[in-house]
Amino acid sequence: MINELDQSAQLGGANQQIVQAMADKVFAAAHSHAVYGEPVVSGNYTVITASEVSSGGGAGGGGGFGPVPQEPSPEAEAAEARSPESNAGGSGVGMGGGAFGRPVAVVIIGPDGVEVKPVFDATKIGLAFATMLGAMLMMLGRMRRAS
Amino acid sequence: MMMEANDIFQVQQVIGDSVQVGDMMVTPQSEALIVRLPFGGLVWHRPTAVLVEQAGQVSRIPIVDVTRLLQWTLLGLSALAFMATFWIRSSRRKETLS
Repeated sequence: MINELDQSAQLGGANQQIVQAMADKVFAAAHSHAVYGEPVVSGNYTVITASEVSSGGGAGGGGGFGPVPQEPSPEAEAAEARSPESNAGGSGVGMGGGAFGRPVAVVIIGPDGVEVKPVFDATKIGLAFATMLGAMLMMLGRMRRAS
Repeated sequence: MMMEANDIFQVQQVIGDSVQVGDMMVTPQSEALIVRLPFGGLVWHRPTAVLVEQAGQVSRIPIVDVTRLLQWTLLGLSALAFMATFWIRSSRRKETLS
């Protein structure tokens, strides 16, 4: 019985470590290094990239179980000792997560001063524009049919 | 065991490592929204500005997310178009009934 509890505690501890490691990785996105890149020097210019980052994750754990302990008796203890396969146990942990990053701007430090150049994501805007246009055309079509 | 809203949601102003270039000191700033849950979490982190310190003067250059701005503009336009269509349709119905 003590052995089972030890195993369960070890598994639980291992699960906790895995979940903690994942949480550390998720919350690492809150560090400034996640948003601003390392400065790149080229000639008289120093360039720093600035990105938007988001990350998320979740985890769930299980536990261990074993046979319901019987009334303590020398016979029961002897039976348990004879058949170690009756010792049950187990643990489980599941987790999932993801991260996303998108460049927002480039900070250029040069002899003329500091300049922030925005990064324009044409694909995103194109998709948003096409969706808007589609929705408008659908609405116009409905209006025509209704009138 | 109950978590308070302040424990769950946090908005942090993050200041990055300063970069010294010549007589200029550039310090990046960002903002992070952190959601901590018992079974996981979420972080949304975006750059906000750079502080430029030169000859004793400090200036703040904001970082504008043009892509996000345009996306919101298009969304706003879509909402306006939807509302206009709804308004035109309802006024036409009223005309037909009267």
